[in-house]
Amino acid sequence: MTALAAAVDAPQARPRLFARKRVRQAVLIWCFLLPSLLIFGLYRIMPLAWNVVLSFQEWSPTRPATWAGLYHYEEMFFYDEVFWTALWNTLLYIGSAPIGIAIALGLALLVNSDIRGRDVYRTIIFISYPLMTVAVGVIWRWMFDERVGLINYVARSLNLVDSPIPFLNSFDWALPSIIAANIWQMLGFYMIILLTGLQNIPQNLYEAASIDGADARRRFWRITVPLLKPSLFLCFVIGMLNSFTSFDLVYVMTGGGPGRATELLVTYVYKLGFVQTKFDYAAAVTVVFFALLIAIAWAANRLSGGNAGAVESD
Amino acid sequence: MDRRTMLKGGLALSGVLAMPAYLRAQSAKKLSILTWNIADQEAYFNEVFADFKKSNPGVEIEWLDKKGPEVPVFYQTQLVAGTPPDIINTQGALWVEYAANGALMDITSMLKGNAEVAKRFNADYLANWTLDGKNFMLPFYITKTLLFYNKNLFKEAGITAPPTTFAGIMDAADKIAKGERTGLLTLNFDWLYWPFFKSEGVDLLTPDGKKAAFNTPKAAEVLARLAKGTDSGAINKTSWTGRWVEPNGAFAAGTVGMHHAHSPAFFFMKGQGPWINADTLGVAQGPGGWSTPNSHGLGISKGSKNPELAFALLAHMTSDRWTQEFTKRRNVLTGNTASDQASLARLRGEEPLTAAVLQTQLENTDKMTGNWPLPFDAALKDAFYPELQNAVLGRKDAKTALNDAERQVNRLLSRRA
Amino acid sequence: MTRARHHLPIHLVLILVSLVMLVPFYWVMKTSVSGENIFNYPPNIVPRDPHPFFYVDVWYYIPFARYFLNSVIVSAITVAGNVVFNAMAGYALTRGFMGKGVVLMLFLSCMMVPFQATIIPAYLITGRLGLLDSYLGLALPQMSTIVCIFVFKASFDAVPRSLIDAAKIDGLSEWRIVWRIMMPLAKAAIATNVILAFIWSWNNFLWPLIVTRSPDMQTLPLGLARFLAYQEDTTGALYAFCIMVLAPGILLFLLAQKEFIQGLTSGATKG
Repeated sequence: MTALAAAVDAPQARPRLFARKRVRQAVLIWCFLLPSLLIFGLYRIMPLAWNVVLSFQEWSPTRPATWAGLYHYEEMFFYDEVFWTALWNTLLYIGSAPIGIAIALGLALLVNSDIRGRDVYRTIIFISYPLMTVAVGVIWRWMFDERVGLINYVARSLNLVDSPIPFLNSFDWALPSIIAANIWQMLGFYMIILLTGLQNIPQNLYEAASIDGADARRRFWRITVPLLKPSLFLCFVIGMLNSFTSFDLVYVMTGGGPGRATELLVTYVYKLGFVQTKFDYAAAVTVVFFALLIAIAWAANRLSGGNAGAVESD
Repeated sequence: MDRRTMLKGGLALSGVLAMPAYLRAQSAKKLSILTWNIADQEAYFNEVFADFKKSNPGVEIEWLDKKGPEVPVFYQTQLVAGTPPDIINTQGALWVEYAANGALMDITSMLKGNAEVAKRFNADYLANWTLDGKNFMLPFYITKTLLFYNKNLFKEAGITAPPTTFAGIMDAADKIAKGERTGLLTLNFDWLYWPFFKSEGVDLLTPDGKKAAFNTPKAAEVLARLAKGTDSGAINKTSWTGRWVEPNGAFAAGTVGMHHAHSPAFFFMKGQGPWINADTLGVAQGPGGWSTPNSHGLGISKGSKNPELAFALLAHMTSDRWTQEFTKRRNVLTGNTASDQASLARLRGEEPLTAAVLQTQLENTDKMTGNWPLPFDAALKDAFYPELQNAVLGRKDAKTALNDAERQVNRLLSRRA
Repeated sequence: MTRARHHLPIHLVLILVSLVMLVPFYWVMKTSVSGENIFNYPPNIVPRDPHPFFYVDVWYYIPFARYFLNSVIVSAITVAGNVVFNAMAGYALTRGFMGKGVVLMLFLSCMMVPFQATIIPAYLITGRLGLLDSYLGLALPQMSTIVCIFVFKASFDAVPRSLIDAAKIDGLSEWRIVWRIMMPLAKAAIATNVILAFIWSWNNFLWPLIVTRSPDMQTLPLGLARFLAYQEDTTGALYAFCIMVLAPGILLFLLAQKEFIQGLTSGATKG
């Protein structure tokens, strides 16, 4: 076609082209999301739906399901003391996440600085994370042991205490002990996430700030922390998830005891389902647990500025 | 590498990787058996199964073994999916949950039709696996609690004979406890500690199983004594962790006077405690001759496609020949009376200490407690044991703990009845 | 020099932290060569009669080579899937599109579903897909993880807009933009993804327990059961087993660290 004809056609052609491109872009983006969405759909969303439906039914593996309405929820909220204890313990567990993150942040900053041998330090701090949680539980259970554990041994050798401290047998110290073991394992992991985040902060911002006369404290709070928000948010969410990924840790170290002092919602769900064969009740507890986590995540999201803490790029 | 090749390659790869390595055999003669934490006996199982296949050609046997805490997870998932193993081995009272929920096959008629199989077993132990008058399992190996004691520590404390009552045990524990030494350890999972209560006349539930019966002054006394003992160090606190490895390890370290455990504990401790031999380790019956069984049974899943064949395998595994062989490998009694007598006779000559330990398993079989055929046994444990822990660890006093436990147990019973 | 003096307290702190991190390890290693009763008191600092035979025991008690191979294959699939899918999803999340907020919330909430509550439905679904007892079935639930999606998203967010715009003007397609421009700049995120996906897949215990049936398909953590035996003392072998399972994760971390270092220096010079 001649150039004249093409020029005449052009104004009508542009809007069509534009729309097609936009649609093509949207389709592509959804295609990018598809594999992950599919996997989550199969293995998280559908099981969650299964749990929600089951929580309103009475069912056992060999009998058909019958409608039960709010039976389980009623039992849970009004009669089940274990549920409330487990809920409280879970909240405490989640509340302890910032402690680990703060320590990890300190370590990340130290390791990020220009010192010699930081690769070695980084490796040593991380080395606890790849260890199987069962192994972590076994070794820390021994370390906390009242009679033969290492911690008591050291404390008594240094004459810090007169009589051994019953860590895992004590109603007050059992949960903090598990939390300590958990932090020990997670430090390396938080540190890695925070290191990745620290690298994303351009050096010249610091340089500009110090030229402007800001001291280290100022630089930390005004530059580092805000720009680390996505990573900090991520760490907090992971810390929150520890309240159920630490399942093995709790199970191996105390099994939920003594009494119910270390019973978490996740161990309770597991016991209800697989020890007591009450899958329907376990499903109800799962739903409540899930709602709790969503609520906390939403609150954390708001606190870190929305959009999963990501700083809007200009 | 362009996109298309990558996609094609990816699809092909997924196809290959998605093929199950375990292709279900189309033959109707396939049996699967799930055992409980006995993976070290692989050689034995190979032999038993090979022998069975000789008399039953064309049969394939799939052997699965899972650790104790994983059996329920695995089995129940398979149940829901409709592919339960034909034969299942359970420990303690877990079988009741499955039987009551209809997962296990009622083998009463099969037993009636195979009189010589039914006659083999110790009647008291076989009765451990009946619910509402129906049999659900055959004994695989039997264990119950006994009292182990460290003869050296006894001598040092001036105790001449093993105590036979709860009060006697507690007194002995007090005498031995000093510094790093503790007097008594007891295992706590699966109601193994119940003989302490039963020997003092405390029952858990009323005979009809509808209400709690343990909230009595006597029970409060026992509980208070246990709490005092734990506080003073007479009772080793590891007792109340509900574990297996730790208490046995603690006794094997040689610093505990008595260990109230079931017979497999002996073999674990022997490995960890080189000081253990006939002169240093004593065995005695539990308080008042009472004990809690914690035996292993073999049952058939209701969903099994080959129940007769499964029963034949059970009969084969519990035969005189193979139970004797099993005792040789594992030093446990199997509930097959004739074979147990033969094994004991042999052990008395070869390993007198082992024989002494195992002998206790056959005594006082009419005084077994802690084995309630209730479908919600696990929930019952969960309602009772945490309160017990509260009391013995000094969190609540005995009376309050018993009141709270009674409240929870009654609520459970009313909701589950 | 002022620099060294300034660094001394940092070293002190880090050394202290390192000790805390390493002591439990030392104990695991010590017991793995001596097999002592850990209930002896006072505890021995130095192992008595150390010997490496527990490691040999591990090799023989379980079909170690087979389990190891299975774990390697499953982890390889998982890591590959993770890097590809997570990068794609992470990139998609950096763009604005309709329903982005919903997708974001969906991803976040997917994290909040504890695995213990999904065992039965996950098994049934895998069964429906015909993937029981297969490598893909073992890997599938973990082939994408939300944590790593967000790690990629954070890394991609930090890429200057100008670079992307320049690429668009040059006519590059979205796919090319991700692979040619964003990924090379997100080396640290990739390294993080690889390490984490590997560790999670390698240590995964509950899912392989449920989904495998034939002994040939079992992964390494399932061998753990053999060392928590009922009637034998397998303490030494147990700890040796833990060390042997741990080794590949550490190795991978050491290898992937180089990417970290590259990432660090590139971060410093980024404009």
